[in-house]
Amino acid sequence: MSKLQELEKHLAQLPPAHPERRAAVVPAMQALQTERGYLDDAAVEEVARLTGLSATEVEELATFYSLIYRRPVGRHVLLVCDSLCCAMNGGKQLLTRVEQMSGVSLGEVTADGALSVLPSICLGLCDRAPAALVDGEALGPLDEFALAALLQRLQGED
Amino acid sequence: MEAVLTQHLDPAAPLGLEAYRGVGGYRSLAAAFDLKPEAIIKTVEAANLRGRGGAGFSCGVKWRLRGVDAAKPRYLVCNLDESEPGTFKDRHLLYGGPHQIIEAVIVAAYALQSERAFIFVRGEYATGGNGLKRALKEAEAAGLVGANIGGSGFDLQIDVHLSAGRYICGEGSAQINALEGRRPNPRHKIPRTSIKGLWGQPTTTNNVETLVNVPHILLNGADWFRDLGINGGCGSKLYGVSGKVQHPGLFELPTGTTARELIFDHAGGLAEGRSLLGFLPGGASTAFLLPEHLDVPMDFDPVAKAGSRLGTGGIIVLDDTTCPVAVALNLMRFFARESCGFCTPCRDGLPYLAQILAAIAAGEGQVEDLALLEDLCEKIAPQSFCAFAPGAVMPLTSSLQCFREHYAQHIATGRCPFGKANEGGL
Ligand SMILES: Cc1cc2nc3c(=O)[nH]c(=O)nc-3n(C[C@H](O)[C@H](O)[C@H](O)COP(=O)(O)O)c2cc1C
Ligand code: SF4
Ligand code: FES
Repeated sequence: MSKLQELEKHLAQLPPAHPERRAAVVPAMQALQTERGYLDDAAVEEVARLTGLSATEVEELATFYSLIYRRPVGRHVLLVCDSLCCAMNGGKQLLTRVEQMSGVSLGEVTADGALSVLPSICLGLCDRAPAALVDGEALGPLDEFALAALLQRLQGED
Repeated sequence: MEAVLTQHLDPAAPLGLEAYRGVGGYRSLAAAFDLKPEAIIKTVEAANLRGRGGAGFSCGVKWRLRGVDAAKPRYLVCNLDESEPGTFKDRHLLYGGPHQIIEAVIVAAYALQSERAFIFVRGEYATGGNGLKRALKEAEAAGLVGANIGGSGFDLQIDVHLSAGRYICGEGSAQINALEGRRPNPRHKIPRTSIKGLWGQPTTTNNVETLVNVPHILLNGADWFRDLGINGGCGSKLYGVSGKVQHPGLFELPTGTTARELIFDHAGGLAEGRSLLGFLPGGASTAFLLPEHLDVPMDFDPVAKAGSRLGTGGIIVLDDTTCPVAVALNLMRFFARESCGFCTPCRDGLPYLAQILAAIAAGEGQVEDLALLEDLCEKIAPQSFCAFAPGAVMPLTSSLQCFREHYAQHIATGRCPFGKANEGGL
């Protein structure tokens, strides 16, 4: 059973005004994003239906949370830290290099839909600066070679 | 000092239930159920375990003040949102020892007689969060979580909430709004969340590092815990050292270990031929300390006396190739972006500070900019709705004092004395 179905089953047992319906809004957004890649307008409506919130209330949260995407992103989203410890260890140059080597600018999607690159706040990997995160996998310290190998893996798949 | 919290941590292969029990895991449950809730709280207070989330408030006092007759249901929130630059201790706890966290939450919930607990995990730690959910299922299946735990009559449900980004979700009251599915801006200080918190019920929030100390305190006693510290500190502390050091890392050491030991003995010191410019002792939202403070014990009171905050104990080191103006700009951009936008001094003030700093860094600063920056910091901090903005201006205010001549040179010469690019020059 997918996370979304699990969630729907759980919410179906709750009376309409139960506070835990609203409390499920973040898991609901995450479940739909996992299935569809990002939260499109239809997904926002569906989250609203599931949780009893208005579409505007869902939109407020979807655009507040940095890990919820309201526009298409690549199958892999590479988060590159731009906070202090990484910036002190080549993080800013890494961001530029990733754009150059991947051929995609920050926030865009590669033509084949494989990859998006986004700057991120501190990833809790300051002991591995400059650090990055993709598909839940911690990366760092990311030097030129590690970056090249990573991009080859992420972009060279299909 | 023998490892306590990190003894069985293994991020590559965290211990499953049986293996964890094999090394003594979950033994503190029996100790807790024998000791009864009030006695647990007394022991924790006697141990002088201070909050590892940054404020250093005594855990035992916090639990005692919640009161035994607080309205039911009561909630416990384990704060694992860790997003303070320079801080990675909670990540090591999560990825390396999920069962140690679950054991701690059970004991804390029992002490507080709270039958529902939430572990709030930042979205970027999703993989660790999934490991925690797997461990929780194991614990539930073994009857360690659920109804009538170990025949004690105590019931507990634990929910793991995976968040979706944004630093402000680590602020206690904002975190409660996030759990309720509301916009995660902080709440007004009154009523306190310990009285009216999650869904209007009494709610206790503790950082995960704070909580994982409690089982060890129950098993070994308050005196054992106090004696782990040095220079007046109590217990062991997960220190992080990063920035311009050769071997950045996490070090579990006696609370009260000095900055000199942490930076030079454990983190390998600076690069060849470099000298220390300064360091942030407790993550981004603390004031700079200088080489003269190297022998200050990294504990709450001594660091406060030296003019900064221990905060998370995540030390960020700057050396003599680091431009303090570029550091201040990096930090202010972080804070301006992470403002929740709820109140004007922070939402509009921090971007303004970043804009002025960017001009100075780019060699377009004006002579009166320094007074303007200081004036803005003085106005923003007391007017803002939560502690985020005061934390945001703290490194800037101290940078303007500690590294005045660097700013003056940027303005006078129109370029960075280190010859660094105007912004990336870190
Ligand atoms: C802006 C801001 C961010 C915070 N982020 C965290 C955090 O990520 N983790 C945490 O445990 N506490 C964080 N805190 C502190 C919490 O509000 C709370 O005081 C703490 O979790 C209480 O636990 P403790 O007493 O065990 O330290 C933050 C506070 C502020 C003002
Ligand atoms: S100080 Fe900043 S983070 Fe705190 S409520 Fe105001 S805008 Fe939000
Ligand atoms: S500053 Fe980059 S991971 Fe912490």
